[in-house]
Amino acid sequence: MEEESKVEKNMKKAAQLLFFRRHRLPGVRGWELKRAIGGDWLEVIKLLNLELERLGIEVKQISETGEENEEDPEGARFVALLKTPLPPKATGRRIDDIAILSATLAFLISKQGKASKKEIEELLSEKFPRWRVGPSIDRYLKDGYLGEDEKMIYIGWRTRAEVDKKTLLDLILAS
Amino acid sequence: MKLSKDQLLRIINFCKTIEKEGTNPFDLDVRGSLETLKQYLPRWKLLDDLLLDAEAISEISKIIELQGKWIKSRSTSFFIDPLLIELKIKFLEPERLADAFFSSWHPICSMDRITPKRLKEGLDYWNQLLPLRERKSEFPLPFQSKGAMSIKELIELNILSKNKFNEELSKVFEEVRRRGKIDYWSFVYEKEFKDSVIKAYLTSYLVSDGKVALELDPITGDMFLYPLRGSVSHDKQKSISISLDYEDWLKWKRNQK
Repeated sequence: MEEESKVEKNMKKAAQLLFFRRHRLPGVRGWELKRAIGGDWLEVIKLLNLELERLGIEVKQISETGEENEEDPEGARFVALLKTPLPPKATGRRIDDIAILSATLAFLISKQGKASKKEIEELLSEKFPRWRVGPSIDRYLKDGYLGEDEKMIYIGWRTRAEVDKKTLLDLILAS
Repeated sequence: MKLSKDQLLRIINFCKTIEKEGTNPFDLDVRGSLETLKQYLPRWKLLDDLLLDAEAISEISKIIELQGKWIKSRSTSFFIDPLLIELKIKFLEPERLADAFFSSWHPICSMDRITPKRLKEGLDYWNQLLPLRERKSEFPLPFQSKGAMSIKELIELNILSKNKFNEELSKVFEEVRRRGKIDYWSFVYEKEFKDSVIKAYLTSYLVSDGKVALELDPITGDMFLYPLRGSVSHDKQKSISISLDYEDWLKWKRNQK
């Protein structure tokens, strides 16, 4: 009985660390979980994952670049992701802004992950007002959905973690 | 010798461009480039030349690596012709694009919060903080900008000559009178972007002064200028901001050609 309550206590601690942001980026590092929970932290995360699955949430282990990282649990970042798609109104963002991100990501995926900023802006400006395109891209760069390196835009860590790229492309092509 | 060195530099630069811009790595003729290196290798005697040769080899090997990745990505289901995606993006409604994103998006669940400990720290800090009037010396006033300078101030500072400004203004006004009702952009755009900016500024001055009217078609968004005879009452005036975009001006210039 006592053992059970210890596990529960650790699960609560892990949930708090996962859900409440402590750093600039969401989620928590493996070594932070280990320090807070102890040696059996990976088992605790597995149990928490089972509990969260019932609520449609999944704990994922990602690398710095947002890809799944199963190799180095202590160095990885653990994040809680929503398994089921979010209703559009729950995002609090304009449909136009979401459409800009969707189009940019689809274009980047088709270009092997990166394209020049000018090329993207020109493509988007044919469909959306230029004054909306620039700030929108800047916001997604800040949020981590996109990355920038010397006027080249690439897929950001957050897209790798959150977006099912194949589904996105399939849906756009099927529309 | 110089010619062969140039060829090596050309190979290096071409490889770097492919790496940087993510263009097709098969654009580089690897076999041909290696043949060139092989051909020149016996001629290199200086260390710098040999280093250049080594750099070229290193860059070519990076391209071969990229070619491997390129084939791998094209053989996966992710490979789709970018042109097809471009077309789809152009024709799809924003709502459909957003729907595709929502259906493939699994956002991270995260919340910002403040802990009781941090709240107490904040409270303690607040309680210890002296009123601002007692701490004024800690914060020297920053340079007070007076905002945009008026024409009068610019003339007083000898940055602008009153005669020259009036002369330019009259020229623009005369042109409006001569050309009658005219599309705003056709009037403002000049052969040089700098001149277009000056003309847009002078035109805005004339519009603000009530000498020229700016008419905006709310449906098409087209803007027209025409000279006014009498002055317009300030109650009827509206403010409108027009941004002069360099890219738009370039497009206009290209169309003129």
